[in-house]
Amino acid sequence: MSEEVSIIERQSIPQGATILLGFPDVGLVGVIAAEHLVSELGLTEVAYVDSRLLPPLVVLHDGLPHSPIRIFGKDKLLLAVSETPIPGDIIYAVMYALIDWAKKKDVKMMVSLSGIPIQDRQDLKELKVFAAASNQSVLKTAQDKGIETLSEGYMVGPQAVILQRSARMNMPALALMSQCFLNYPDPEAAAEVLKSLAMVTGVKVDVAKLLEKGEEIRLKARDVMQRTQQEMTKMKKSQELDLPMYVS
Amino acid sequence: MAIRKRRSFGDIMDSYFEDLEGEFERWRESFLERPSWNLKAGTLEPLRDMKVTPTEVVVTMDLPLTVESSLQVKPLDNETLEISAKMKRIVHFEELGVKHHKGEFQRFHCHTRVPVPVKMDDMKIRFKKGLLEIHIPRKRG
Repeated sequence: MSEEVSIIERQSIPQGATILLGFPDVGLVGVIAAEHLVSELGLTEVAYVDSRLLPPLVVLHDGLPHSPIRIFGKDKLLLAVSETPIPGDIIYAVMYALIDWAKKKDVKMMVSLSGIPIQDRQDLKELKVFAAASNQSVLKTAQDKGIETLSEGYMVGPQAVILQRSARMNMPALALMSQCFLNYPDPEAAAEVLKSLAMVTGVKVDVAKLLEKGEEIRLKARDVMQRTQQEMTKMKKSQELDLPMYVS
Repeated sequence: MAIRKRRSFGDIMDSYFEDLEGEFERWRESFLERPSWNLKAGTLEPLRDMKVTPTEVVVTMDLPLTVESSLQVKPLDNETLEISAKMKRIVHFEELGVKHHKGEFQRFHCHTRVPVPVKMDDMKIRFKKGLLEIHIPRKRG
């Protein structure tokens, strides 16, 4: 199925990079974190996803068309980000293509930035970040930095496919998920996930600006969040709040 | 002669939930397929969510940049709420990343319909970090 999705490189991509992934999901945590990384680290577009499976839309920047799913980069850091929610029925195809491409590039690690919805989020003073990984050794890297493991539960969406596929292909992949709002943009959660990212990978950015601009980000992200809610409903994202039934 | 098969309780419940899901999806799409702004009124529609529990209906709304003292939650009838709030500053289209429209916004405004009978008079409101929470007890019996 991944033949239906191509990664078009705009410039030469180095081998052995770390690739970060931020896709529209709960609280838009991944997308908000990704946008902050792009602006703070001065990342530029190095590749993009092309596929007839994607909705017929382009994102215009300075009057020029861009794919909604792009890969930014600088030196040995790559960042895949989508500016529109990825429809549930093509998530497998898009994620498989990205992972296969990452495998060819011999990436050091894939880190997916996301959230985990929590009830009464507005009453929490501190947000916890949880980790899940494609193998024990990657999980230990996060544990050694004091990041709690999401030991049991359900995961739905792009990061679920990334972990499953990476585990099968024996690729190092990590999902960092901050507690967040389910249906509202959550810049505070994005800041927390970026702090954990810095601990695990050394990719460090100042999150003070992100927190300062929190209300402005929430205002601008309303429509993307609304569209993302629709896709999350279709893919039964609320299953992440279900109590798991253990089969051991 | 047509033979009518008796439907089991499970089938009836499945069909009920499918209808309910379809109805919800239609409502959600009708809400989606129009802009989240009203240029003439100078208002933005806030993101909102609703939870129906056995005892109450909880409506939440994300209202960033809101002046708390300007917040108004008004029942229009037994099932409809009107929410309105002034923003701390005027927001221009350009700031929202749109350059092909001219205009500005200074308020959030929306109507929300509650799907079950409630006691509007006993409504309680909480506003924290730009998030509005409205608790309305359900009418029983």
